[in-house]
Amino acid sequence: MTPLIEARTLGKVFPMGGGPVHALRDISLQMCAGEYLTIRGPSGCGKSTLLHILGCVDTPTSGSLLFDSRDVGSLADAERSEIRLRSIGFVFQRFFLLPMLTAAENVDVPQAEAGVPKADRRRRTMELLEYVGLAHRADHRPSQLSGGEAQRVAIARALANRPRLLLADEPTGELDRANGEHIAELLDRVQSDGTAVVVVTHDGALAERAPRRLLMRDGRIEQEEFRR
Amino acid sequence: MPIRRAVIALTCAVTAALSAILASQPAPLPEVLVSRQLMEAQHLQVGDTLRLSSAASGVDPHVYRIVGEYEPTPDPMRLGAARLEVRMHLPDLLAVEANPQNPLDGETVDAINVSVTNEGAGSDVARRVSGAIPGTAAQRTSDDQRRAAPFVVLERFHLAIAIVTVLASSVFLLALMLMLVDERRATVGVLRLIGFRRGRILQHVLAEGVVIAITGAVFGILLSIGMEGGINRFFQWRYDTALVFVRITPSVALRSIAIAVPLGVASIFASSWSLLRAEVFALTRR
Ligand SMILES: Nc1ncnc2c1ncn2[C@@H]1O[C@H](COP(=O)(O)OP(=O)(O)OP(=O)(O)O)[C@@H](O)[C@H]1O
Ligand SMILES: [Mg+2]
Repeated sequence: MTPLIEARTLGKVFPMGGGPVHALRDISLQMCAGEYLTIRGPSGCGKSTLLHILGCVDTPTSGSLLFDSRDVGSLADAERSEIRLRSIGFVFQRFFLLPMLTAAENVDVPQAEAGVPKADRRRRTMELLEYVGLAHRADHRPSQLSGGEAQRVAIARALANRPRLLLADEPTGELDRANGEHIAELLDRVQSDGTAVVVVTHDGALAERAPRRLLMRDGRIEQEEFRR
Repeated sequence: MPIRRAVIALTCAVTAALSAILASQPAPLPEVLVSRQLMEAQHLQVGDTLRLSSAASGVDPHVYRIVGEYEPTPDPMRLGAARLEVRMHLPDLLAVEANPQNPLDGETVDAINVSVTNEGAGSDVARRVSGAIPGTAAQRTSDDQRRAAPFVVLERFHLAIAIVTVLASSVFLLALMLMLVDERRATVGVLRLIGFRRGRILQHVLAEGVVIAITGAVFGILLSIGMEGGINRFFQWRYDTALVFVRITPSVALRSIAIAVPLGVASIFASSWSLLRAEVFALTRR
């Protein structure tokens, strides 16, 4: 079975005024479809940078990344956009919902961009809002939602085009314990429904939920744990 | 044909009789037209008699009868000057200046304006008059460079004002668009993350720019049409003239749109450029 993601000796250097910043050094990693992976590590160790590269948002300065056997480094910006649109969903600490749109419209946007017919979109949107338990808030704007609710809408939006990979950067970072737990359960469910999930987190309890866990330090993978 | 001859004879007889009656009356006063402004200033009425003298002291006045009022032809060169004027027949005008002691001392008329009913025939008439009466120079008033000069100056003045206005408002527009785009930084970042291509976002931004620019231009034109009457009335009142100060013609409106729309789109484009060039994650990272 070919891996969904194959990272080979990834390196990322940010050229800065005070000398280059080595955000990632020699990262090699394989992930299969439907796998669940969490990444922990001290602040500044390169977790977000790795997530951006895995999500085809940023490109490595050395090494290569294969997404579904395609060499991402050789793809044009438009092609990487296409992969993000159809195969990858993002969830961030700060939700990043579009404030002028309702919950349902936020979930609708990626589907519309992917060219899904309107009737199908409406059905899929309601299905997703039900999935995250917010069908009754479909017409509310992000400002009318709590943090936990907004994050659930963000997850619904990330799943809109049935991605193969869901990437979450500190998804519970701005939430209280109960809401964090709710999001963690939702991510479990997304993974068990067949989507590969990568979660970057400082939250030990959230990290422990995954069968496969990475610990990063100074841009390297320091430790990798598996649990059956 | 005897009946027709009889009618003609009768008409001639009546005419002759009327002429005789009229001739027996005292000589009628020469007729003048008085400008609306002078009528108002001196509380004159049609039918009043008017004494005019060529001397400031008012000696040796000539007497006229007012037979009508007229609106002086607006002249931007004489804006602000009270148009206290009278129009009289040419012989009457010469008579005002005539010096009985020295017949050669009178004013001479060296130019007259002739209005032609068929406007297009102006140059044809001028050519024929010039040819028919040697020594006269006949030309259309609109061909007279000296007469057109004030309008050329005015036009340049308007152009200068327009350029300054357009430049200033472009800078303002650009600043506004930059603010708008900055507000959109996060939105564009999110759309890029979701997987919108640069071209697609640019398309949205430009479409929005076109809509804003057209809306703005149409609003501006409607506003100026709405204000046109008010501005004209105010300045016509202020300078007591019939001069039209503002006129929004279809060509003016079209020109405004032709300038405003590309300008608006260009400023949207310029202000969005940095945003679209930026890396996706740089937009959402704070
Ligand atoms: N765009 C950038 N330009 C310059 N340096 C950067 C940039 N992005 C990240 N870095 C640097 O790369 C290193 C890794 O950053 P990254 O954001 O991946 O850390 P992180 O592990 O996600 O930290 P945190 O837990 O605080 O989110 C840091 O030293 C950071 O300063
Ligand atoms: Mg981070």
